[in-house]
Amino acid sequence: MSLPLGAFELTVERQQIPSRLVRMAAPTASVAFGLLVGAVIIWAAGQDPILAYTEMARKGFGGRLALTGTLVLATPLILTGLAAVVAFRMKIWNIGAEGQLILGAVASSGLGLWLGDRGIGGPVGIVLMLAAGAGAGALWAALAALPRAYLNTDEVISTLMLNFVALGIMNYLIFSSFSHWRDPSRATFPVGRFLDDSMFLHRFTGRLHIGLFIALAAAGVLWWGLRSTRWGFEVWVTGDSPRAALYSGMRVDRKILSVLMVSGAFAGLGGGIEVGGVLGNLDPRALSLGVGFAGIVVAALARLSPLGVIPVAILVASFTNARPGLQVLGIPSEIVTLLEGILFLCIVGGEWFLRNALRLQRRAAGPGPGPVEVETAPS
Amino acid sequence: MNGDPTPAASTAEPETSEAGGEPQEAARLNAITKSFFGVPANDRVDFDLRWGEIHALLGENGAGKSTLCSVLAGLYHPDSGEIHLDGERVDLASPQQALEHGVGMVYQHFRLVDRFTVAENLALGHPETGFVASRRSLERQVAELGRRYGLEVSPKAAIWQLSVGEQQRVEILKLLYRGVRILILDEPTAVLTPQEAQSLFTTMRAMAADGQAIIFVSHKLDEVLEVSDRVTVLRDGERVGSMETAEADPAALARMMVGRDLSTRARSRTEAGSAALSVRGLTADGDRGIEALREIDLEVRESQIVGVAGVAGNGQRELAEAIVGLRRSKRGQIFLGDVDITRTSTLQRIKLGLGFVPEDRMRTGMAGGLPLTANLALKAYRQPPLSKGPLVSKRAVEERARTLEKQFDIRGVRWAMPTSLLSGGNIQRAILARELSARPKVLVAAAPTRGLDVAAIEAIRQILLDERDAGTAILMISEDLEEIMDLSDVIVVLYEGRIMGRLDPDDASPEVLGMLMAGRTADAGPDAAADTAPDTGADTAPDTGADTA
Repeated sequence: MSLPLGAFELTVERQQIPSRLVRMAAPTASVAFGLLVGAVIIWAAGQDPILAYTEMARKGFGGRLALTGTLVLATPLILTGLAAVVAFRMKIWNIGAEGQLILGAVASSGLGLWLGDRGIGGPVGIVLMLAAGAGAGALWAALAALPRAYLNTDEVISTLMLNFVALGIMNYLIFSSFSHWRDPSRATFPVGRFLDDSMFLHRFTGRLHIGLFIALAAAGVLWWGLRSTRWGFEVWVTGDSPRAALYSGMRVDRKILSVLMVSGAFAGLGGGIEVGGVLGNLDPRALSLGVGFAGIVVAALARLSPLGVIPVAILVASFTNARPGLQVLGIPSEIVTLLEGILFLCIVGGEWFLRNALRLQRRAAGPGPGPVEVETAPS
Repeated sequence: MNGDPTPAASTAEPETSEAGGEPQEAARLNAITKSFFGVPANDRVDFDLRWGEIHALLGENGAGKSTLCSVLAGLYHPDSGEIHLDGERVDLASPQQALEHGVGMVYQHFRLVDRFTVAENLALGHPETGFVASRRSLERQVAELGRRYGLEVSPKAAIWQLSVGEQQRVEILKLLYRGVRILILDEPTAVLTPQEAQSLFTTMRAMAADGQAIIFVSHKLDEVLEVSDRVTVLRDGERVGSMETAEADPAALARMMVGRDLSTRARSRTEAGSAALSVRGLTADGDRGIEALREIDLEVRESQIVGVAGVAGNGQRELAEAIVGLRRSKRGQIFLGDVDITRTSTLQRIKLGLGFVPEDRMRTGMAGGLPLTANLALKAYRQPPLSKGPLVSKRAVEERARTLEKQFDIRGVRWAMPTSLLSGGNIQRAILARELSARPKVLVAAAPTRGLDVAAIEAIRQILLDERDAGTAILMISEDLEEIMDLSDVIVVLYEGRIMGRLDPDDASPEVLGMLMAGRTADAGPDAAADTAPDTGADTAPDTGADTA
């Protein structure tokens, strides 16, 4: 590959595989570089970058309220991040975590209301409620997974489109019908019926609920499952080479099905936890904020590592948490969006530079003089 | 610069050998060094090429032949060293620039547009091709070039209709049409029948006589001796030496190439046992939905190697895939011992004792992005000690890999490294290690030594022979006749999805086999004709193998 630039040209060369230490240090360096670029832009926009960063850190992590707020926001992000990780590991592009999360919320709130009506609350009820969310997410993903596994349809299209169907279902249940989910006492402004108190997830301090620990456990289980089980080994092989997987007797179709359903289950569990831990009802306004798509970014930044998803999700959540506070200080919230984008580019770019090197050299014009290396001395 | 597109340009050059008396230098490479991942593929290699000569580049795989050619063809930029063309120092930044200097290479994998005609492929990418091209004058020029060099191929034929040999002619024509005077042929005979190879040699001689310079890359001694004027031997990225072919001694060349004398192996025939793999009336479709296998009858007995000869693309891949369960068979039956496996899964067949060395090592035989440890466990991960219930023990996987590494002499392994970075020989050893460690009753080995260096070929053939002596039934599919002759206890020839003939290796000369491979039974001689069972299917099935083994 080469890119002509006047009398010079830029060529790309593959690098040797970097050492483990370099690979570990690279993301940190990339984040630092991203923050530096962001600082220049904030400064250019007429704001004080140091103030902006300290405020972001303070609103994101400073104090109990800020910290618990960030962690509550991070919980569904961790789960949708895991949903993306497991699917992308096998190069199955599940873009439908959004819809799977919504269906999970629908099922969890539906069963939660039903159980609450019958007085089956507490741990048993909550476990059933969350299981329903995970199951619904898995089944919703199966709608795309079955044709992908057996008819080789494009899962990007099908999972993406199912997001809109899921959104439509949720909106219908609350806004366009008098369903089981809708609060009948509020006729003028439609809202979802609230769960019985016995169905709420346990809260520790502030808004921090047990859902965070469920998400952390889920990350641990996925990490272990991919690393230490036969299923994880098969996902690894299939993701790298489906032909080699078939050759060694693995059922690639079943692997596609199971991976997409596990992916959907994570997202669906995220929906259930939002309902049981934060919202208390099926609230279309709160559930269509793009957490599913953000999970893809989280997974990419975490380089598809299940445990890496945790810090990345918390960092991204801290930005979101800091946003309103910054606006109060006169720092536009677009700065935060911008910063997220810059960090993303820097981390992905850092990955690329680990594996490739750029060399600028003078272009050879026909049978002219030999190459003049700009970076290295000519031999 | 050679901007003139007409074929006449190639011969109008003043530097041709006849004109000057003393042969002049067409190309000189000085101290070329090129490394990949820190490993030098070429280490200070000198090479010179004269007008009007066929210069063979001989060496094992991995000796650096292809790298050196790619440097001259502008595909790789050398780390250091100089390239002189026609006495003038040049820097070749791209294949495009090399073409402008009159250097062109025919790669092992052709770069032709399948749906286009021969003439269209020649016009494609040609600098003189305008927005509107004159089809007729183009076709006339193609025909004329073809006649001059014996490269006859219809200009109006679409590429996909042509045989591999004809496609190669198109590649050569394409370069001649662009005014190439230095032609590099990278292992051109690998894909050809013996007859096609002869016709290629005729073409090469005609071009050399016309004053062009040809680099002929090969690892086949006989061909080098037959066709080249000079020969340069590379080994491990370094130049070992150059000499006039007429003065070269085959044994000495082989020694230069390998660095040691080749061991010759006396064939020891073992008594074949009962039928381990039986194929009856097998018919299956190829990837394009056309029947690729027609009424195949085969039998492989214990302690027997049945060699399947044939030119690539005559059903070999489909046969292997149907037997191991990667391809659905339309009709017929496959038995492993007495078990009908026609409709069972690949996994079931593996469990019943079927091993497979696929021809496509990198994508089918291995998951290239995974480390070798994982690849060595590809099948064994299901059983203890590698797995306990649903869990896989990472430590057991690594321990097993280390044992197999030693046992099968797999070299150059760094454990976190993607398998695709290993050399072909080591990858093949690893595949064999994995398959044989499962103690298969039947091993299907497709192109087991293709693209490997001489030492690796020897080692892998010996492994196959030892395995046969240990009682395994081996179905070996190979395009390498020498290999077929050397290892097989029974030879069958596959042509257009049918079995053209069954031979005893003692009765099979390369000529007889070559004819059968080209689909000509009538001229195959009395020996072959007697054993030939073209397409009469089932009635010959019960006693195949029995009368030849």
